[in-house]
Order: sequence, then C-alpha cells, then structure tokens
Amino acid sequence: MSTPLGAYEGIVRPAVLRQLRQLGEKLAGTRVVHVNSTREGGGVAEILEWMVPIMRELGLDASWEVIDGNAGFFEVTKAIHNGLQGANVAIPLKGWKTYEDVNAKNFDRLRPILEEADIVFIHDPQPAHLLRLCTGRKGKWIWRAHIDISRPSRPVWKALRPMVEKYDASIFSMAQYAQPLPHPQFLVPPSIDPLSEKNRDLPPAEIEAVRSEYGLDPSRPLLVQISRFDRFKDPVGVIAAYHMVRKVAPVQLVLAGGGAADDPEGKAVLEDVIEAAGNDPDIHVLLLPPDAHTTINALQRLATIILQKSTREGFGLTVTEGMWKGKPVIGGDVGGIRLQVVNHHTGFLVNTPEGAAHRIRYLLYHQDGIDRMGATAREFVRENFLLTRHLREYLTLMLVILRDIKANVVNV
Amino acid sequence: MTPFEVKDCALLTRMSGLPPAFNLRELRERIAVCGENVLFHHFCETTLRGSFDNPDYRNDFAVWSKLYLGDRVLAERLGILDPYAFPSLGELRAATLEVIDERLGELTMIPWARAGDEFFFMEATTVVFDTGIRISHPRELAASIGAMTGGSLYFHFLEARRRPPFGKDDFTAWLFENNVGQQNDPYVEALARIDFDFHTLPHLRKELVKVLSELEETK
Repeated sequence: MSTPLGAYEGIVRPAVLRQLRQLGEKLAGTRVVHVNSTREGGGVAEILEWMVPIMRELGLDASWEVIDGNAGFFEVTKAIHNGLQGANVAIPLKGWKTYEDVNAKNFDRLRPILEEADIVFIHDPQPAHLLRLCTGRKGKWIWRAHIDISRPSRPVWKALRPMVEKYDASIFSMAQYAQPLPHPQFLVPPSIDPLSEKNRDLPPAEIEAVRSEYGLDPSRPLLVQISRFDRFKDPVGVIAAYHMVRKVAPVQLVLAGGGAADDPEGKAVLEDVIEAAGNDPDIHVLLLPPDAHTTINALQRLATIILQKSTREGFGLTVTEGMWKGKPVIGGDVGGIRLQVVNHHTGFLVNTPEGAAHRIRYLLYHQDGIDRMGATAREFVRENFLLTRHLREYLTLMLVILRDIKANVVNV
Repeated sequence: MTPFEVKDCALLTRMSGLPPAFNLRELRERIAVCGENVLFHHFCETTLRGSFDNPDYRNDFAVWSKLYLGDRVLAERLGILDPYAFPSLGELRAATLEVIDERLGELTMIPWARAGDEFFFMEATTVVFDTGIRISHPRELAASIGAMTGGSLYFHFLEARRRPPFGKDDFTAWLFENNVGQQNDPYVEALARIDFDFHTLPHLRKELVKVLSELEETK
C-alpha cells in the first residue's frame, strides 16, 4: 500500500513538502514511465513502490512497467549485473541474443506507452535494450544505474555501453560508481523511507519484545551490526573489535543478517562468524529471514552504537537506517559510508578492528557524545537521505531534462 | 515597501566530464581548465549538496587535501579561501591555483591519493522557482526564514552574493532598497554579523531566526 505525501508531515519540515508540491505542479501531466525487471523484492522495486504513487499524487502521469522474462533471460541479466560490478563472467553470443529477444518481446507489449512517454526511466541493465527498439520515441530516456559500474568486466561493458550511451542521460548513486559516457551523468544518492517497517517509530513494547526474544541485557551497552554475512562486511573483524573492547567494558554484540542459505560464500562466512563467536553468550549471531524488518528496526533502536565495519561497501543504507534511529555509527572508511559518517559529528570512520575498538571505547567513555552524535546523525539523515530528498532530485532532473539539460541555472 | 519574493531552488549534481585527479598536480591541471560551474560547485554549492565531507572546511578541495592527500598545510590554505570575497570566479580560480603552486614549490614529492580516493570533478544545475510567498515587512523575516527550505535559504543568503548587487545577500539588498529613514539599519547590521562560512543550512536558518528574533525582542 502506498503512503501519501501528507503522511510525512511532522517528519520533514512543512517547507520540504511544499517544495515537492511546487516542483510537481511544474510537471503536472508529464507522462513518466519507469521500467524495471521485478515488481517485488530488491532495492529498485522498493524505491518504485513509493516513488510512482507519490509522483501520481503530485500530478504527474507516472506509471511503472515491469519486463517479463524467462529463466534463461534472468540468468543472462544476472551475469550482466555481476559483470558490471566487476565479476569475471563470460556471456556467450547466445546469451546476448536471449537478452535482446526478451527485450524485443517486452517492447511489443510496451510500445504505445514507451513511444508516447515524455520521460522514460530505465532501471539497471535488464531493460536497457528497449531504447534501441523504440525508434518512434518522443520523449527523453534516462538510464538509472543502481549498481557500481566503475570497474566492470570489459567484455560485458563493451557489449552494454553502445546501448547505454544512446540515452539522453544517466543517473548514478555516487561519482565513484560512474563510467565516462557521452551524455550528462547525474548523481542521485539513495534514500530511506522513514515510514517503512524497517524505519517507522516502534512502541516501546515492540522494542522490549525483541530485547527479550534475544536475551539482551538492558543494563549493558549493545553494539549492533546489521548486514548480510559477507566478507566485505567484515563480521569477523567486528568480533575481533568486540573482544578488544570486552577487556574493559561489559558490552554485548549483535551481528544480524540474512540470506546465507542459498549462497555458498555466505554460508562459509556465517560458519567463520559462528566459530569466531565461540561460546560467548554476549555475542548474538542472528540469521534473520528477509522480511524481519521490525526485528531489525528494534535491534537498531536497542543499540548503543551501530557498527558497519565494511571493507567494501555500496552506499550503505544500513548506516542511514542506524543514523535515523539516532545512533552514532562506527563505519568502514569506504564507499557511501564516507558520505554519511563524519568523524566526531555522526560517528567515526575506521579502517581496522583496532580502530573500531578504539572508537567504541571512546564513545562508551564519552556517553554524552553518543547522544549528541546520535541526534546529529538523525538530523543529517532527515536533511539529506530521506525519500523526500530523493524525490526532489528526480523532479528536478525531469524539469532540467525537459528544458535545458546543459544549463547551469533553469528558471521554471 | 516592495514585497520580498521568496524563491526556492533545487540542486541537481552531475559529473563534469573531467577525469578524476589522483594527485596534487592533476588537481591543479583540472582546476586550471575546468568550467566556472565546476569551480562554483566545489566552493559554494557544497552547503546545498546531499552530503558533506567535513565541516572543518567548506570547500571540497580543502577537504580532499586534508583527508586524502594528507596535506594539512594545503588544506588550511585552501580552506580559508572565501569564494564570496572574489569579484569573479576567474579570480577565485587564480587564487586557488596560486595556493596550489606555492605548495607544489614547497614539496619534494607530489602528494597523491589511493585508488578510490581520487577527486571527482562535479557540477550542478540549479532549478529556480517562485514559491508565491511574499514578505512585506522586515519584522516578518524571522518567521519567514524559519519556514524556508534549505533551497530558499541558500538561494537568498548565499548564492545571491554572486548576483548583482554583488557581495550582498537578497535580504540585505531588499532591506537597503526599502530603507526609508534608515529604519532597516538594525536588520542589515544583524545579518552582516553572521559568519555563514561554518554553518550547515539548518544551522544557518537557526542562526538567522535567532538574530532576527532577538532584534524584534529588543525593540
């Protein structure tokens, strides 16, 4: 179910909603089509679930189309996806043929809406070929890359680039993720929805229920890292940091994540984590189901300090979520964590387990710093990383692309 | 009194097309040839962007020098450059290059950043629109500013300094235009006392509201 814009009153300043409505007025009636490859699951679907209804509420004629594909198609697109993120994959010509054929079949179905649209957003590589097929297009087409393509597999990028460079513009989440392309490349970081199950305010009873369920001691500090069991999230390094802190402070640690069952690498990491945790009753390794949003929300709220000690990271939305709960974050000095964690203001950036242990101890010693940084972190997210900012940038982008894409200032 | 027209603006950041800089010499070369819009973005638009790297310094070159080149001397020299104090972006560019050249002359090795820490040159398009809101008297300023978006505040209090009348924010310019019998002088003086360089936009809003509200209370 979609949430109306008015529901965000009280979470963001009234001026923020007024600004969105005013930008929406300038785009009233604009036919906008978003195309991706799945209606449910994954970050892109999560964004479109809220974005499309709110765009409609603002007066845009927005729709969301999903391309259909068979197992062969999704095998190829998974390989493309991994290849763009740097994995060494080989996609045979037959695979590219499947990719193009499935796009062509979808185009037959979507042709009227795509041809008539004023703006088409193509999300990720799966539907990227549609542009080549839409020779009768009237509007502007934008390719939205949600992934890091800074170091792609060369053969995959060589095949995809000719499709992508024909777009009128592209959008990346961070400058570090982009590839040189012959059109404007806009930067729009992701965001969180403060009213989603993962982020909404929870009644104390719900939070306490989670505390009881996992046997967490309310009288002692709690360190929480939420992330899947992946070597780049360095859960073993977090346990090492915990052991260093434990010598001087009676902390507890929760490492919670999901998705290891069908992932051999994840399973191996989880086994390493369990081994590193040993029999310590104060280390809680929780393998959560994908829909455990309320549990994650409660764990973040129970935390004294949030950890995200990644050695490689995308944007790091778990950091944003932790900050939204009013907690300081000790995060790895990588990727989008750097955009969010500012030393002594919203938390600390660290490079080693030793660094993490040092900063945990620092914060436990400076209790007032925990509250102050937590409050700053929450306000920082409110200003910069809620969906209202995300929506504003999409609306701004549409105004720019419909008027003068190369201008420095556009008066509307 | 002519009503003050409250505008709003939204910023959209994009890649400039320049290759990233991996070391100080490359930074110098790119700054020498980049568009003025790029320079403006890294010096002035940082306050409106969806993130900030380090509130110690307000321009991205100083922040990068400190965090990724590890050159605190250069960071301090770049960090003190006030982009609004230069009559043109060309002169700001010249001053920036002068600081970097001086530092290059002092160093025996060119400082460089690790892969992944390179400096990305960006620029932005600003979409400006009329909110329809009008301020008809200076005593309404505090409440109006308190209700503004960060975009409005940036446009009227910071970006305005680069538009005629140069060096003045829009509120001050409006107060001057309508300063019958110097009645607006206290407002002008109050606004002039704010050192906006170290404020984030939310802090700047609070500070403006505080200063202007105190003025009303003392009347």
